[in-house]
Amino acid sequence: MPEIFHRKLERSAIGLVIAIIAAASVGGIVEIAPLFTIDETVEEAPDMRMYTPLELAGRNIYVREGCYACHSQMIRTLRDEVERYGPYSLAVESKYDRPMLWGSKRTGPDLARVGGKYSDFWHVAHLTNPRDVVPESNMPAYRWLARTSLKMEDLPLHLAAQKALGVPYTDEMVENAARDAYGQATPDTDFAAGVATRYGDETQVSAFDGVKTDVTEMDALVAYLQILGRLTGAAYENTAAPEGKPNPEG
Amino acid sequence: MIRQLTSSERQNAAVIAIAVAIVGLAMAAVGRTDVLGVHGVMVMLFAGAVLFYVLSGLYQPEPTEDRETSYYDDPIKVGIVLSMAWAVFGMFMGVWVAAQLAWPNLAFDAGWSSFGRLRPTHTTGVIFGFGGNALIATSFHVVQRTSRARLAGQLSPWFVLLGYNLFCLLAVSGYLIGVTQSKEYAEAEWYADIWLVIVWVTYFILYLRTIARRKEPHIYVANWYFMAFILVVAILHIVNNLALPISWGHAKSYTVWPGVQDAMVQWWYGHNAVAFFLTAGFLGMLYYYLPVRAQRPIFSYRLSILSFWGITFFYMWAGSHHLHYTALPHWVQTLGMTFSVMLLVPSWASAGNALLTLNGAWHRVRDDATLRFMMAAAVFYGISTFEGSFLAIRPVNSLSHYTDWTVGHVHAGALGWVALITFGSLYTLVPSLWKRERMYSAALVEVHFWLAIAGTLIYVFAMWNSGIIQGLMWRTYTEEGALAYSFVDSLVAMYPYYIARAFGGLLFLIGAVVGCYNIWMTVRSAPLAAPLNADVPIAPAVAGE
Amino acid sequence: MDLDHNSVVAFSKSWGLFYLIALAVGVVVYTFWPSNRKRFNQAKNSILGEDDKPWK
Repeated sequence: MPEIFHRKLERSAIGLVIAIIAAASVGGIVEIAPLFTIDETVEEAPDMRMYTPLELAGRNIYVREGCYACHSQMIRTLRDEVERYGPYSLAVESKYDRPMLWGSKRTGPDLARVGGKYSDFWHVAHLTNPRDVVPESNMPAYRWLARTSLKMEDLPLHLAAQKALGVPYTDEMVENAARDAYGQATPDTDFAAGVATRYGDETQVSAFDGVKTDVTEMDALVAYLQILGRLTGAAYENTAAPEGKPNPEG
Repeated sequence: MIRQLTSSERQNAAVIAIAVAIVGLAMAAVGRTDVLGVHGVMVMLFAGAVLFYVLSGLYQPEPTEDRETSYYDDPIKVGIVLSMAWAVFGMFMGVWVAAQLAWPNLAFDAGWSSFGRLRPTHTTGVIFGFGGNALIATSFHVVQRTSRARLAGQLSPWFVLLGYNLFCLLAVSGYLIGVTQSKEYAEAEWYADIWLVIVWVTYFILYLRTIARRKEPHIYVANWYFMAFILVVAILHIVNNLALPISWGHAKSYTVWPGVQDAMVQWWYGHNAVAFFLTAGFLGMLYYYLPVRAQRPIFSYRLSILSFWGITFFYMWAGSHHLHYTALPHWVQTLGMTFSVMLLVPSWASAGNALLTLNGAWHRVRDDATLRFMMAAAVFYGISTFEGSFLAIRPVNSLSHYTDWTVGHVHAGALGWVALITFGSLYTLVPSLWKRERMYSAALVEVHFWLAIAGTLIYVFAMWNSGIIQGLMWRTYTEEGALAYSFVDSLVAMYPYYIARAFGGLLFLIGAVVGCYNIWMTVRSAPLAAPLNADVPIAPAVAGE
Repeated sequence: MDLDHNSVVAFSKSWGLFYLIALAVGVVVYTFWPSNRKRFNQAKNSILGEDDKPWK
């Protein structure tokens, strides 16, 4: 019986195709299938908020510039990482991230908890020319970001797409996306108040690049960097102080 | 080339080119306010160039002889040329980005030339441009010779080859103008991904139909590997790239996979791209060109079958070893680690099978740099698969992950295995395809070999050193229990190695340029008057295994 | 709920293993089936033959 079966298999090109699919797909399915239900295992974080339109735009600049090639956003459960960067990353913290930007290489440091660690001014100076701030740095200079106006009119489309994929943006947020992006970077205008109403009082409204009139890509990127690790406090609740966290391998 | 097509096939080619041009026009129109419009124009120009070529040859004489009495080699020849062109481009980009890490001002203060945008042009250029074209070309060659049948289509091989290169162009140009998904090794955006699906399905059907018309009863094992490469890459590509564009007029899309699911899907894709693009396909090359060049049958055919199924099966589970100690569930990490270690068995079986095939032909390895390319490739394959299994072990990974060690490992595989087996195969293939007695210059093959070996060794030793130093510095504590080094301390320690790495890459690039020159001169030299195979003996009868 | 995470994981862990074993046994049986030996020997020598044209 196996002889007949295998001879057919070998002789038939279609048989080979089916056999390859059977052998190859199961590994993937066994590993992948449980991930479709993995939302059940992702931690609860009731305080989790979404990216504001400006932060999302900043995230898209981070994506566009390929920052993930040198910066991870995933603190592993290792003592030295927790002490260097902060509480280890939880799955829930990237639940609105499309794509995830965990990264695979640290030519520069991890950025999962860089939000709030430095001032806006520091970030602008650093992005303008990293070697002004960190003389040994080999990061590219991004001074042209401050010269490039942020394209805001498409932002409702971005939020609508995210909403369609399950991110709980409201219709009001989608409608006001462009205004909110403008308002978050221009604290003195009428638009600034709407951001706090829709995304919470803790939202950082600031002239990130120091220029209050114009919204540039620098504003958006700094706004994004400043929210990294601050969408939820869950990681701090779970892990307490860094030194209290035992080595998970120990 | 157009002379091989009948006039109705030429008309079909023109219709396809017009259809693609119309799609390009539509993209340019709806995406006029977005970077999508730039790509629309590019598609139009590409299709227009093809159309111009087809129309200019529309009334050339039709093929007179029966085409089925000869193999279809024209697309293979073009594929080889494209592959070498991409090799030089991709490796040049690699040297440039490597140099930027040592001298960051080499970005010249422009957006398009910063590290983050150039890096995917390097990876896409070498993996998909160089590797992909080489795979398409050699798979077309191997399937015809082992099946003793002509390709099952006149137009579709061209559609596959040119369509694939259009995808590569869209991908690489996109990164420069800021179009990327930032999914590692799958950065191209949704419309390029859809186009690749169309091209890939055509490739699959063409390959399957060619195998189906074979005159040999048995499907030679190299075809199994090519088949697995085509099939699984299709599955991986589609699942990983499922995305929702923000509108039809925008290049930007959002992946359907959020957070931790995306991480798993991306590395399931990423690691299996290594498995089925960079391993299975190139093993197909190995199992054909190495025996042919050595004029010895493969050491054990049975072993090649066992390792085929081992690789096809085990690799699929291994992806999660990229996510050790992360927010991915622990059991998935453990599974990935276990199967990564098990992978060593079929991997070493393949490498050993290749090396044992050369047993008794070592004098040929000594004298023939082409064969030596393939021998060295098998050795590097063995080394890098061992290293891969080793790095997948969780505690080892805690040190190596995020460091240059990973980069060194990848390049031990990519330079030492993938590129060397490709060069060896191309040096075997080019003279036979163009009906030349041998390569233009055996000495230049020798020069290329030593440049490639020196470049690879310098590169991987630099990265092993820097990676391990980096990993150790990050976890070193002072006696008081504080972290001993800041991140910047570890970066400063990397600079000498970054310079050495760029130098190693430069040697490798020079080798590829030498190879291009040699291939070009071979093509230009006078063809053989007598039919080929003057120096190819009939198969010796070898009994048993 | 029938299809909760734990049951999917349990299914994957148990049946995945059976699948692996069944596949391995199948491949080994095929590879070492005595009557396949001749075909394999023929195949591995077939690529070395002179070959400039497709077969009729």
